[in-house]
Amino acid sequence: MGDGGNRGLVGSGNSNNNGGNGSSGNKPEWLQHYDLIGKIGEGTYGLVFLARTKSPGNRGKSIAIKKFKQSKDGDGVSPTAIREIMLLREITHDNVVKLVNVHINHADMSLYLAFDYAEHDLYEIIRHHRDKVNHAIHQYTVKSLLWQLLNGLNYLHSNWIIHRDLKPSNILVMGEGEEQGVVKIADFGLARIYQAPLKPLAENGVVVTIWYRAPELLLGAKHYTSAVDMWAVGCIFAELLTLKPLFQGAEVKATPNPFQLDQLDKIFKVLGHPTLEKWPTLANLPHWQQDIQHIQGHNDNSHGLHGFVHLPLKSPAFDLLSKMLEYDPRKRITAAQALEHEYFRLEPLPGRNALVPSQGEKVVNYPTRPVDTTTDFEGTTSLQPSQPVSSGNAVSGNMAGAHGVPGRSVPRPMLGMQRMQPQGMTGYNLASQAGIGGGMNPGGIPMQRGVNPQAHQQQQLRRKDPGMGMSGYPPQQKQRRM
Amino acid sequence: MGDSDTSFCVSTLLCQESESCLNEQGYEENTYIDVKPYDCFVSEDEEDEYFENLFRRETCFGSKGSSALDDYSDISQTWLKSARLDAVEWIFNTRAVFGFHFRTAYLSITYFDRFISKRYIDRGKMWAIRLLSVACLSLAAKMEECDVPLLSEFPTQDFYFESNVIQKMELLVLSTLEWKMGSITPFSYLSYFINKFFGDSRPKGLVSRAVELIVAMTKETNLIDSRPSIIAAAAVLAAFDNQLPRKIMELKMSVISFWQSDDKEHMYSSYNLMQEIGKRKVKTPELSVTPNVLSLHSGSHYLNENISYNSAAGTKRRLTFNESDHSSPVKKVHRK
Repeated sequence: MGDGGNRGLVGSGNSNNNGGNGSSGNKPEWLQHYDLIGKIGEGTYGLVFLARTKSPGNRGKSIAIKKFKQSKDGDGVSPTAIREIMLLREITHDNVVKLVNVHINHADMSLYLAFDYAEHDLYEIIRHHRDKVNHAIHQYTVKSLLWQLLNGLNYLHSNWIIHRDLKPSNILVMGEGEEQGVVKIADFGLARIYQAPLKPLAENGVVVTIWYRAPELLLGAKHYTSAVDMWAVGCIFAELLTLKPLFQGAEVKATPNPFQLDQLDKIFKVLGHPTLEKWPTLANLPHWQQDIQHIQGHNDNSHGLHGFVHLPLKSPAFDLLSKMLEYDPRKRITAAQALEHEYFRLEPLPGRNALVPSQGEKVVNYPTRPVDTTTDFEGTTSLQPSQPVSSGNAVSGNMAGAHGVPGRSVPRPMLGMQRMQPQGMTGYNLASQAGIGGGMNPGGIPMQRGVNPQAHQQQQLRRKDPGMGMSGYPPQQKQRRM
Repeated sequence: MGDSDTSFCVSTLLCQESESCLNEQGYEENTYIDVKPYDCFVSEDEEDEYFENLFRRETCFGSKGSSALDDYSDISQTWLKSARLDAVEWIFNTRAVFGFHFRTAYLSITYFDRFISKRYIDRGKMWAIRLLSVACLSLAAKMEECDVPLLSEFPTQDFYFESNVIQKMELLVLSTLEWKMGSITPFSYLSYFINKFFGDSRPKGLVSRAVELIVAMTKETNLIDSRPSIIAAAAVLAAFDNQLPRKIMELKMSVISFWQSDDKEHMYSSYNLMQEIGKRKVKTPELSVTPNVLSLHSGSHYLNENISYNSAAGTKRRLTFNESDHSSPVKKVHRK
């Protein structure tokens, strides 16, 4: 596929070359393989779209397409994009999102990553239970989600990759289909191979929620270890059990890398203060020394973790959780060790389809992800303002089961779906690398300058069909990253 | 590097590091040679496992393979070799300007070598070589450095490239290298090998001498042909003593479990090459390389032309530049 090189692709203004792919009306090669459905997320690094493949054999397969925000003029290709793609190219695991393709839009040099689409994520699943169905997530589901999350993490860690930004919205779960209920770790924008430089997050201009941040980082540790991911897993585990974030600190917004006293305080209130006895290297952490009075001045009236998560002190679940929330990163349980834990050997045993308990349990119908169909690949919203989903729309998604709609992942009606055809895109398939970038034209940019690539698309934009069956939630602008 | 004097000497590469900051205590403060990839290993086993894994990953980046240098006709080969040397010099000089780590410069040369093993660059297109060098160094900096300069800040000397032209080239490099940008460099292994070979009895100044040798090696050999771990080991041993009997080398190498006999042979030949480099250095302390192509011409050339990359027969693609249809903004390279 997409062997642009044979066609000597150049930008549109370059009439001297064959195969110009600019505004000449040629369909951009890579986009021809997709039907764009709409926008499903927006994050620090760009937009995420839902599309379906058109290629025979894979027809109708859902694909999430992540568009990286344009880097600032003069910065070149964004380091985040390079690192994320590089990492994703190297990793293959059932419990890690699969990068299907990388596409380059040569006209504006934007990058698009195509992933297998996952219908759900832990953020939505937790929210659904908390706000809609009002009961705890089934034990089997919690255990299976955790098991698979640990499996994916164990794979990453044994390949010396630290994720660094694990949180419920980055843990995806596959919807209906062959891989239903399979966990996929997503968003490697901050992930690092151990060797890579470890720039303080704040300096990256990245806002990472602090609720899942490990205490050693909050205390100013400069080195990230895989233990920071395990702390986050512990927080997520607790959240799956209680449906609310375990340590919900108020973030201090200042640069660079401010001391997050409130977050630490929230942790200390639950776990008690760390001591040098239990955590000898604590003394070396910058904030521990600088803010020792501040930190220790706070009263230590910890309530105990078991009280928060409503688990018996002697239960295997509690034992595992407390080992994940061990203060000393060197003593904290590793993903490999956690997988060996007794918790996973007791009934209900974890399974591949985390959403469907094996034996006739009542199935929770999780809502499908809201899709904003008014946004095109350029991130341009149509002239029609996005319409809030009416109560009528909510029916098919919200509590679908209660309304007798079968299946948790109601196939989304395709009404009103418009295909966007941004011009000037060429693509390549990672699998056929010989031809990659064959169409590149380093000198050819100026010709695309001044041409508004959106002008053409504006005409194609349609507003969302109000009759579309969507989830029960109004379209939201949750910070989601793939 | 503002000056046009591109004569190159290995010892100037190290001029910013005093000997004292290269010793053990100095590791932490030293900005340029950060030989410890990761000092949080829980145990020695974990450390061994890490390096074994690193060693296995080396092959993912096309270590050992035919390089473009082999495929070119004699005349092209000579040109490409000299152009490559020029690129290597520019990269190390620019490294010094920005204060990048040596590993960053090395990494960018691996990108360069992998790129030219997959694509042809027409003879005489020095600007293409420079553009490639800028893109490779910029990409390596994005992988390795915390502070990455703007594209416009790279001192391209005789050429002028617009930022978006460099960005296009970055994308071309990324896609040509299949986004496999995590190439491993010898610098990752230095402290591990030094520790394994010498324990606490490491001689003073060993790191800086080994770094010097690794840097010198990049000019002698295409990096696709050699494994980073082997270069690191050879450099450490040659820095320690460049008259080592083979028996001693074997003994030293036996402490590293992941090497096969093949690897050991490669190590000996790398060691021999470093011996050569060392001897040359003794003869001419200011090891300088013959004035290169770039230093022969001057003046700024404005590059803003259309370049297309067409497929060429065979597995490689040729970089072609259609200047003919435009009044080329690139001045012809002045040759003496």
